This record gives sequence, structure tokens and C-alpha cells, in this order.
Amino acid sequence: MRIAERMLKIDRRIIFLIIGLCTLVPLLYPVGLPIKISPEVRAVYDYIESLPEGSVFLLSLDFDPSSKPELYPQAVALLHHAFRKNLRVVAMTLWVSGTGLADQIISQVARETGKEDTKDYVFLGWSPGGTAVIINMGQNLYTTFPSDYHGRPTKGLPVLEGVNSLRDVDYAVSLGAGNPGVEAWYVFGKDKYKFEMGGGCTGVMAPGLYPLLRSGQINGLIGGLRGAAEYESLIGRKGQAIAGMDAQSATHMAIIVLVMLCNLFYFVLRRQQQAS
Amino acid sequence: MSVESIIGAWVATGLTLFIFSFLYRDNPLFKLAEHLYVGVSVGYTIVKTYDTVLVHLIWKPIVEQHEWSLLIPVLIGTLMLARYVPQAAWLSRYAFAFIVGVGAGLAIPRTISSFILKQVEDTVRPLVALVPGEGVVLTWDLLNPASGVNTIIILLGVSSVLFYFFFSVEHRGPGKVVARTGIFFLMIAFGAAFGYTVMARMSLLIGRLTDLIGYADEAYGRPTLWLTVLTVSMLLLLSRRLKSEPPQEG
Repeated sequence: MRIAERMLKIDRRIIFLIIGLCTLVPLLYPVGLPIKISPEVRAVYDYIESLPEGSVFLLSLDFDPSSKPELYPQAVALLHHAFRKNLRVVAMTLWVSGTGLADQIISQVARETGKEDTKDYVFLGWSPGGTAVIINMGQNLYTTFPSDYHGRPTKGLPVLEGVNSLRDVDYAVSLGAGNPGVEAWYVFGKDKYKFEMGGGCTGVMAPGLYPLLRSGQINGLIGGLRGAAEYESLIGRKGQAIAGMDAQSATHMAIIVLVMLCNLFYFVLRRQQQAS
Repeated sequence: MSVESIIGAWVATGLTLFIFSFLYRDNPLFKLAEHLYVGVSVGYTIVKTYDTVLVHLIWKPIVEQHEWSLLIPVLIGTLMLARYVPQAAWLSRYAFAFIVGVGAGLAIPRTISSFILKQVEDTVRPLVALVPGEGVVLTWDLLNPASGVNTIIILLGVSSVLFYFFFSVEHRGPGKVVARTGIFFLMIAFGAAFGYTVMARMSLLIGRLTDLIGYADEAYGRPTLWLTVLTVSMLLLLSRRLKSEPPQEG
């Protein structure tokens, strides 16, 4: 068997092993490759940076544990930034399967930054209805969420002082792994109740959200682990995303090399077959 | 380190390795983790839905705060269950009619506004800009989304792709060129989407490996090392057993 033929019939488990090693080695021995900040991530950062102290920041964690590697670092970075700016954080989720994870994220970051529950932030939890929840929140936040995740009545909470509906939100970010997510928040939230919003999403979803970004329907977009790493760089806090960037670059390089080799062997084999 | 954290680390590590074992071949460890995942997800969703919907949004407001108006949505929702009784199945149609009617009424205008009108508005941006002191300016900066050159590219892309999906006319002559251009734009879009998908999948792998590295710590009892040895041993044992078994007939 010719080399080209043998390479094209290589056991796929060898490729899995190469990709696994390309991911594992940079995680164990990071190089610290530079991270370039994209305008769409900077736009989210700049908007939060421009908000005055005490502004209402709505963070909708619309994902579940299966998207944790990409959206967890985004949520942590955004919460650190919001708490550092002393914004009033209103967190919630439209995904029932992500409720526990969302509570864990916000409690953890609040503990790290010394923020107080119900005074500096509140986690409203999950409410059924998907997009209908957004519409209801635009009319009355307290009928949509009569109590927060821990069962305390939302009416009268210090963090929600002066907040009656989505119209009172200064900036909203949806970290979405699907539907309902960023698009639903734009269609049923921002477009109807006129508040500024940005988005965060998994890498798979990012190309589909760029039209919304270009047309100004959302003001910024944090896409995948790469976007999270950029945000971590902007707030000057090295987290899981920055730690994973070397591995990401190495695996991408490995995939590019494998694709090129595959094509090379394919054309070599075709030429050999034509010659014989 | 709390006992819950240590148990959680061992469970998370074990299930991750069991799922990864599928990369070698389908095996009972993978099946165990897969079934557990489905079961836990469904169980969690049922419990959260029961607690949030039935207890906090229905039972408590009606019984404790006497919000009797909530009985109307409860009744409509209950009608859906009539599908399970053949004689009364027709009642569920009222509930479905209500949901479809409200859903369509809410979604259609908002979707048209957001995904059609706003996107059309963005597609037909002016080619040139009137800059005070400079007159009419056509910008060629590819990195600026609002530049004239990007407006031309978007116009070409949208028109050619729309033409490619226009099947009432045979794609011949100049039409073939336009349709081919449409395919060219589609391929670029698919390539970008696939590139992002690869990036996303690699991110998931990075996330799991990061956790596995973290759980290799002595504080957790090194579950990564012990469970890797266990998983590999199980796979080798399984592989040997499969080799020794005679192939099934039929």
C-alpha cells in the first residue's frame, strides 16, 4: 500500500489522540499567546464601563451545563465587571435545566467580590414560558417573578428599587446557547421595550448573530471561549478562558495541518492512480 | 474540602472519562454515562418545573393569596390533558387553539420587524456618505462594516444567493454566472459556520480537560488518575472479551 493511501486510511483514533494531546499539552504548559480584542467584544465592555454606579444590569444566563465551557467564563467575566462597577445586577435564566448552574455562578462571583444578595444583586431564577417571560417582564417584572430563586418576594427588594419592567433596565446581556436566547431577547425585549442590549453565545451560534450585530440590533457580541478570553483580558482578570486559548490555538493549528495533509495525500494518490 | 465537593469531583471525572471512552469504541461505560445524563436531565427538569410552576406560580398564589384569576390559565392548561381521554380529546383543541393563536399573534409582528424589516434596512445602506467639508465619500475599508465596499459585497451576496434559490427560471447564460456567484457566497458562509463549530467543539473539549486537570489534585483524592486507570483497564478487558468471543452468526 502506498504512503498516501495508508495515510488516507489512518485509524481515526490516532487523529483523536493527536487532537487530545494538542489540547492537553498547552493546558499543562501554557505559552501565553497574545489575545487580540475584537470590536464586538469591546463594545459590550465599553457600554458597561460607561454605565454610572447603581445602573440596572440584567444578565440572562440562557444556557445549561452542556454549554458551560464556553458560557461560564463569559458569565463570570461579565459579573466581575458589573460588580466592580457597582451596578445593580438582576440575573435570571430562560432555561430550566440551567437554573442550578446560574445560581452557582452568581453566588460564587458575588462571594468573591463581597457583594450582598438582594442589595447588590438578585437571582430571579426561572419562569416558564420562554419568550412570553420576556414580554411579561416588559409589562411587569413582579408578576413574572413574584419571588426570587430563594423564594423571597421580589417586591421591596433593595436591588430592584425603581425597577418595574424591562423599560427600567439600563443594559441587558443574554448569554444564550440556543432558543430562547439572544435573538428572543432582541425580538421580544429590546425591539419592543427599547433598552440597550448585547449578547454572548456559543461559537456555533456566533455566525448567525453577526447580522444582528452589523445592523445595530445588538450593540456587541461575545462569541464562544475566544470572546470570553477577550473579555477577561479587557477586565484584566485571567480566568478559564484565557487559560484555554493556547490549547484552542494549538488544536486549530493541528486541524489546519491535518486538512492540508489530507488534501495533499488525496491529490498525490489521484495522480498516482491516473499515472498507473 | 467538603465531602460533597470530593464526591462531585469523582462523579464528574468518572462520567467524563466514560463518555470519552466512546472515542475508542461503543462500550457499556459510555452507555451508563449516556443513560445517566438523560435520566438526570429529565429528572431535574421535572422537579424544577413542579416546584416553580405548580408550587410557586399556581398553588401558593391561589391558596395563600387567593388570586382566583389564576384558575383560568390553570383550566386552559388542564384541558390539554384531555387528549389522554379519547371521549374528551376534543376539549384539548381549545387549549391548543388558544396557544397557537396567542403565540402566532405575538411572534409574527415581532419577527417581521426584527428579522425582515431591520435586516432589509441594513442591506440597502447608502453606498456613499456625505462628509462635511469632504463632500461625497466612498470608503473602501473592509474592516469597517459601514464602508461602501462592504455595502457592495452585501448587495452582491444577497442578490446572487436569492437568485440561486429562484427556481422558476433556468440558470443559463448570465443567470448561471449569478447563481454560481450565489454558491460562492453560500460556501463562504458555510465555511465560516463550520469554522466556528470546530472552535466551539474544541472549547468543550478544553472545558472538560481543564476540569480533569483540576480534579487530578491530591485534595480530591486524584480521581482523574484512578478513574483513568479504571476506564482504560475496563476497555482493555472488554476488547479482550470481544476478541475471544466467536462472531455471531446471521
